[in-house]
Amino acid sequence: MSTQFYLKKFNALYFSVFILSLLILSPFLSIFISLFGEVTEYFFIIKDRLFELYLFNTIILVVSVVFITFILGTFSAFLVSFYEFPGCRFFKWALILSFAVPSYIYGYAFTAFFENYGTAYSIVSFFHNSESVNAYIPKFNGMFGAIISLSFSLYVYVYIFSRSTFTNQSSEIIETSRIFGLSTGSFFLKVLIPLSRPAIITGLSLVAMETLSDFGTVYFFNIPTFTTAIYDSWMGFDDTTTANLLSAFLLIIILIFFTTEKFSRKKSSYYDRKLSNKNLKKNINLHGWASFFAFSFCFLLFFLSFIFPFLQMLYWSFKFPEYFFIYNFFELNLNLLKLIFLSLTLIILVSFFVNYALRILNSNFLNSVSSLSIIGYAVPGLIISIALMSFLSFTSDYFNVNLRNAFIGSITGLVLGYFLRFYSVSFLGIQSNYLKIDKKVDESSYLLGFSKFKTFRLIHLPYFKKPTLLISILLVIEIIKELPITLVMRPFNFETFATKAYSFASQDLLEATAVPSLSIIVWATIFIIFTFKFSDSDK
Amino acid sequence: MIIRIIYTFCFLILNTNFLVSKEVNVFSSRHYESDYKLYDFFTKKTGIKVNVITGKSKLLEKRIIEEGSSCKGDLLILADAGRMGSAESKGLFQKFNSSVLKKKIPENLRTDYWYSIAKRARIFFYNNENIKNKDFKNIDYLDLADEKWDGDILIRASNNIYNQSLVAYMIEVYGEKKATEWVRGLVKNMARSPQGNDRAQILGVAAKEGKIAVANTYYHSLMMSGKKGTEQKKAAKKVSPIFPGQNSKGTHINISGAGLLKHSPNKRNAIKLLEFFLSDKAQKHIVNNTFEYPISKNVNPHPLVSRMGTNFKENNSISISSYFKWQSKAYKIMLENGWK
Repeated sequence: MSTQFYLKKFNALYFSVFILSLLILSPFLSIFISLFGEVTEYFFIIKDRLFELYLFNTIILVVSVVFITFILGTFSAFLVSFYEFPGCRFFKWALILSFAVPSYIYGYAFTAFFENYGTAYSIVSFFHNSESVNAYIPKFNGMFGAIISLSFSLYVYVYIFSRSTFTNQSSEIIETSRIFGLSTGSFFLKVLIPLSRPAIITGLSLVAMETLSDFGTVYFFNIPTFTTAIYDSWMGFDDTTTANLLSAFLLIIILIFFTTEKFSRKKSSYYDRKLSNKNLKKNINLHGWASFFAFSFCFLLFFLSFIFPFLQMLYWSFKFPEYFFIYNFFELNLNLLKLIFLSLTLIILVSFFVNYALRILNSNFLNSVSSLSIIGYAVPGLIISIALMSFLSFTSDYFNVNLRNAFIGSITGLVLGYFLRFYSVSFLGIQSNYLKIDKKVDESSYLLGFSKFKTFRLIHLPYFKKPTLLISILLVIEIIKELPITLVMRPFNFETFATKAYSFASQDLLEATAVPSLSIIVWATIFIIFTFKFSDSDK
Repeated sequence: MIIRIIYTFCFLILNTNFLVSKEVNVFSSRHYESDYKLYDFFTKKTGIKVNVITGKSKLLEKRIIEEGSSCKGDLLILADAGRMGSAESKGLFQKFNSSVLKKKIPENLRTDYWYSIAKRARIFFYNNENIKNKDFKNIDYLDLADEKWDGDILIRASNNIYNQSLVAYMIEVYGEKKATEWVRGLVKNMARSPQGNDRAQILGVAAKEGKIAVANTYYHSLMMSGKKGTEQKKAAKKVSPIFPGQNSKGTHINISGAGLLKHSPNKRNAIKLLEFFLSDKAQKHIVNNTFEYPISKNVNPHPLVSRMGTNFKENNSISISSYFKWQSKAYKIMLENGWK
């Protein structure tokens, strides 16, 4: 059965996928459409003197975070994938846990620890009570704080991608390297890293995109970057045109990373060698100093990225127990469940629908439109919420329907916002799994007289049980942490852990953010452990 | 069956806001937990339910604009006079008559469209070990630019609205040229690149990172109250407040204010709530929890705030509504002169 045949038969499907992809894209297009308004003097301040500063800070931030996450991520993945040492099995999954700590919460903890009269001061004065203790506690500038906070919460991307390719490398490579007299260091740098390049680049591009679109952390540390400039042009100057110009610029940079990532992912199929189990390498047992070093590196990384912010929050919760009682945990958890249930249903259903349609329609044009429609993940949540509101009010006026009441200030609107932001996670996940099902399977099914829907339900769906669960868990972790969209689009009296934490942070009660922050960390940790156990059993 | 259950669940989820006629909807950029208690008092007194969304002022503004006539909000409460002015300039508010509010709120703290509900002063803090009060008594905002304080000033970033309002105030009082020179001098005198909030500046003075911290009054009281822990209380005790401008124009003050939204569906309830904010009970609750100054003359500030000073000279000669007029200009001047 030819493509043309499907095209004729599925015109309605073709158009619905096209319209759907366009609808997903349209809030982002509204950023580009509104580029031509009037700018204020802020635009000229940026042009004449601030642009270089924003660019400089953004570059410093991205380059440093990418560099640090590269070292932390690849080296820790290398240790746990190739060696046996005390705690090795534990670190394999424990090193993923810092994914549960949003970088802005890491920033709160970092600041609270090192500030004058902060936690470090309390610890030192416990042993040595002197007024001059503050002078001995290192003070870091905002840039350092932001780099550390982002690196420790984002290195996980590099770790996960590196580990998955490292695990697939054959033991022959290591042995061959040994025979040629390569030291461990040279093997790591000259053989392993180049061999795993595509996967590492994928991880690093995700790190770069997250860093570029980060707002919470850089704002907290007062680092002028493109995202804070977008915010300032709007807050300080009421200049939405400049805000849109900067957003468009940022979007273009992000798209470049996005394309790099896509390109490297395509190439990765040449590098990834799937090996049967019996060919899998045996890990080398480490002894003495080497074992101690490997353990220390992993422990320190685990401690700094996860235990440190966790302990700081725990310390606050005990030090200021009064804040524990102001939260309505039942309501907060219920709100979270509502959001998770509705968003997951929508996001996963649409991803399945679009992916299935793309598969049977086989149109290059549709493929490109729909892969563009997933840029939401790379766009800062703040920009998405603004774009979405402008889009809804524009559509309401233009078509004379009231979309405002239906979406702004309602759970439906929140779900739509999450959909735009996180659709790509699920779309790409399902797409990559669909690629694994040979198209001949479909054709055999049609020959057996199965309808399209029956093929989907009986043949495709069973393949997707595990991937869908994994995708859902990833989405859940993102939804738990999400802040800017929730803050703007939510209904009256609607709070989540993230909005509560933000609210206390903005009234200068960082101590009170401990309880919601801990809740976010605990929820996300549970899901991460679940994901890990699940994907491990998959192997 | 399963589909029916899912359907019912979705229906329940999507319809959490049942229509209650006795209600008032508040958009607020004040994040104080104690404000929620205040709303509870109001509900107990009047039976009117208060629904709240908190958020950054401009985001709330944006949402109100985009929702247009279908906006369900009744009151907008913001923590800065300039922000109130910005909302007024965009036509977000409507006028209404309230003799209660006019009687209780001094003329310079209200416009036709919005009313102050609490007050704060932006003042200086110094470490008693560094500076003797007598050298310092007559200090004014202008002195922050004096070469004498080279490397001594601690103040937060230029994107902070309190600083933008302070510079806007300086433009209103001294004119653009003098205010620009002042900003330039002040930036030169900074002890470090601006970081942290107002409390971090006070802590900086306590730890001798600088000699003068610029901060709002309530931050110091919050630390003194012990709510921030014993260490911070200890730090707060080492520093003393001083109200600038006592021998010249007076101290710069700012407010939290509220206005009735243009398309308010529950106008009467909203006015009731606004008037309630100025009642003695509400004013007492606000000052005792947030350490702001009251607007109503019947109520005294919290003892920790009173100890700082109540009889200081405010600059009442200008209306706080002028802050909005100069805020963008102020921010521009700050950025152009390297105030990070």
